[in-house]
Amino acid sequence: MESPQASPASPPATSQPRELSRLAALLRYEILDTPEEADFDDFTELAARLCGTPIALISLVDERRQWFKSRVGLEVSETPREISFCTHTILGQEIFEVADARQDPRFRQNPLVTGDPHIRFYAGTPLTSPDGHNLGTLCVIDRQPRQLTAEQRDTLERLARQVIRLFEQRLLARRHAEQAALQQAILDSASSAVLVTRPDGIVSSVNPTAERLLGYSEQALLGHPLTSALFQPQALQRRAAILSSELGVPVEADFAVLIAPLHQGRREMSEWRLRHHNGSEVPVLLGVTAIRDEQERLRGYLVNAYDLAYQEQLQLRLQQIAAQVPGMLFQFHWRPDGAGGFPYVSEGIEQTYGLSPAQLASSFAPIYARVHTTDRAQLLAGIRQAANSLTPWHSEHRVEHPRKGLIWVEAHAKPLRQPDGSILWHGFVTDITARKAEQLELDKQQEMNRRLLEALSEAVIACDADGCLTLFNDRAKQWHGADTAPISPADWARHYRLYQPDGVTPLQAEQIPLMRALHGEHVSDHEMVLLGQDAPRYVLTNADPLYTSDGQPMGAVAVMHDITERKRIERLQREFISTVSHELRTPLTSITGALTLICSEVMGEVPTQLRELLEIARQNSQRLSALIDDLLDMDKLHAGQMRFDLIRQPLRPLLEQALHSNQSYAEQHGVRLHVGECPPVQVDVDAMRLHQVLSNLLSNAAKFSPPGERVDLSAEFGDARVRVSVRDQGPGIAAEFHERVFQKFAQADSSDSRPQGGTGLGLAISKELVERMGGRIGFDSEPGQGACFWFELPCSERPVAASESQP
Amino acid sequence: MAELRRILHIEDDPSIQAVTKLALEAIGGYEVLSCSSGAQALEEVERFAPDFILLDVMMPGMDGPETLARLRERIDLQRIPVTFMTAKVQPGEIEHLRKLGARDVIVKPFDPMRLPEQIRSIWAAGR
Repeated sequence: MESPQASPASPPATSQPRELSRLAALLRYEILDTPEEADFDDFTELAARLCGTPIALISLVDERRQWFKSRVGLEVSETPREISFCTHTILGQEIFEVADARQDPRFRQNPLVTGDPHIRFYAGTPLTSPDGHNLGTLCVIDRQPRQLTAEQRDTLERLARQVIRLFEQRLLARRHAEQAALQQAILDSASSAVLVTRPDGIVSSVNPTAERLLGYSEQALLGHPLTSALFQPQALQRRAAILSSELGVPVEADFAVLIAPLHQGRREMSEWRLRHHNGSEVPVLLGVTAIRDEQERLRGYLVNAYDLAYQEQLQLRLQQIAAQVPGMLFQFHWRPDGAGGFPYVSEGIEQTYGLSPAQLASSFAPIYARVHTTDRAQLLAGIRQAANSLTPWHSEHRVEHPRKGLIWVEAHAKPLRQPDGSILWHGFVTDITARKAEQLELDKQQEMNRRLLEALSEAVIACDADGCLTLFNDRAKQWHGADTAPISPADWARHYRLYQPDGVTPLQAEQIPLMRALHGEHVSDHEMVLLGQDAPRYVLTNADPLYTSDGQPMGAVAVMHDITERKRIERLQREFISTVSHELRTPLTSITGALTLICSEVMGEVPTQLRELLEIARQNSQRLSALIDDLLDMDKLHAGQMRFDLIRQPLRPLLEQALHSNQSYAEQHGVRLHVGECPPVQVDVDAMRLHQVLSNLLSNAAKFSPPGERVDLSAEFGDARVRVSVRDQGPGIAAEFHERVFQKFAQADSSDSRPQGGTGLGLAISKELVERMGGRIGFDSEPGQGACFWFELPCSERPVAASESQP
Repeated sequence: MAELRRILHIEDDPSIQAVTKLALEAIGGYEVLSCSSGAQALEEVERFAPDFILLDVMMPGMDGPETLARLRERIDLQRIPVTFMTAKVQPGEIEHLRKLGARDVIVKPFDPMRLPEQIRSIWAAGR
């Protein structure tokens, strides 16, 4: 802020607030530093002439200078404020007159007096704004001392008032121009279509939005009646008829339809379908406003048209989307007073609550009434809680559906607080009865499975696809003395103390049945030992990989069956058989030996009748010995104590040897043994064990052949194997016996009462022996067609051609 | 070349003892001395001076292998072959018995009619 100048010529300091508001008033006219204007120059010219002075000025005083809006007889356009005469004038309300400045102590030293323009006389009248501020002066100046006449003074004051009036007019004109520009801008940028008409309905202005919406240019519509250009006559007539009856006055089917309600004091929005330039229809919401001037005279109408096409489209889209959604979509408005309504509900509400959207526009009650009574309190509490915390709401509740009966629905919604304190929810509700039923069924199933697992005498363990143990049933926990632990499969064997059947060799990770199953293998009857806290537990384990319904690996499950007791009993049985057999063998050796000696008549002649009986005794004691030998063989095979010395050797001599040693037995049955085809191959066998097998098959064949028949022993090569066949011409094997042929004591179970001799263990032992030598055994038989027992042994070597084998 | 005439049979079971003795004497025509234990055999062996010794493996008290070891201290096993008789033929047992110094192993139950011939061929094989 500048301090007032302390010069002798300076005018007295003015009060600061008053001066500030005066400056503000001056600036409001926006006239400082504007170009010269003829209107103002007329006044200075008139003032100079009427007062007979060479100089006249319209001077405006701002904070630092006086600036001349119009001047006569002076070259400079402004002078500093502190030396100006006008500064004195604007302090008063009347003409300020200085007759001779040289004689006046206030101006004697003023540079305008002492120098150019050499002022001697000054008379100025304040230019006072309507709100009482002196903006400047209209003043006349002479270089001679003089005085104005009363008439001149009066004229000067009248001129000053006219100057101020001119200021006002100028200001008003500017304001009007701005207003008009603003209105146009608003109109042009309005998002709604705006059409302006004259009072008679002729279009006078159209904004760009309206041009776009209706397809007409402003030019095409100007001067045309609004209704005949854009409205459909039938629609106008329908509306006119309605209005006529509503208002009780006849309304013409023209522009009057739009303005009649307005003139009856009704402001309304009405829907219309306007005609687009291209012939299509444009749905709009129309509002009409009267335009009146200051004198309340009607100047025209402002017609606003809101495009409903977009709205209709949105509505349609929402409907279509909602129709595809299983369940109902809704918008729920909950007011602070507790009342509520649904501004929007999709048609799906029929499916969920058995209601129609219209029933819910203003009330929540119909839905509430459908909710199962026991679920209501919880439902409301949930809504309140979500409303208070403004968190998403979720509810599952039962609904008494009029058509479907009791159903389960699931609701989700999100609350939004509105400025008025109400809450707007957006959400959806779906029928989850089926899912719920599945869930209940699943729960039941799971409970059932759980009980089943605990009731099992087997131990069940499972792991997921990552090898994390997920399940031990009670039995598994008991056997392992531990529960599932979060350890890697590599540590299972150590942690749960898993051992090989020998009970001392720890199981390798890749040998654990669950691990093998996890790698996709189907494991059955894997034997291992659990060393828990108690004695070793022998278990047989089956394990299988688990897959999801779409075939993805999901883990594995293993079921362990405790065979400790079985193993113990088996061992006892074996020990018993072994002991008994050994104990039987010694006396049998004596009996057989003694009988053999007697029958040989080495001791002397035996009477014929006695001899027959002794022969029976001898044969049966030999049969008993054979049975014991077989039992011991079986025991050795099962205990894994029979050793095999596999030696590569030609097959044919083995067959011939077997034939030779069974020849006498065959002869007893009146049967001939015959060696047929045999390729010159070599096999890896234990000669003694193979001999045992061949003897068994040959003696069986001889035993079952009718006297006079032949038993054929032959071999053929094929597919890396050699098959040795023993074919007889006996009665064959009954179909119902086929399955049990290779079982122990199968013969004893046979209903065939014919005494055939034999121990019933021969074929079972032969099967074991052949399998231990890497082969397999079988037979082909049609009842009445004889039987063919065969065994196959691996034989990678191709038979040597007959010509090559010749020396 | 000496002739096989005298056989010492060591066997705890009297029935087998009797059958064996009968078979060897009646069929083979040998002179047999039966001993019921290893201890008795050790007492008799030098006096009887057998050409061949038939020795049971499983016996109460001193068993076959032990009796063999004690016999070795008194007689020349190269000259007087010892053959075991055993009912229990476990894998490797025959080899084991041979390593102990036995000439051969005869498996029980044996055929008394063939026993003299078996012994003769074992005896002949060692000559």
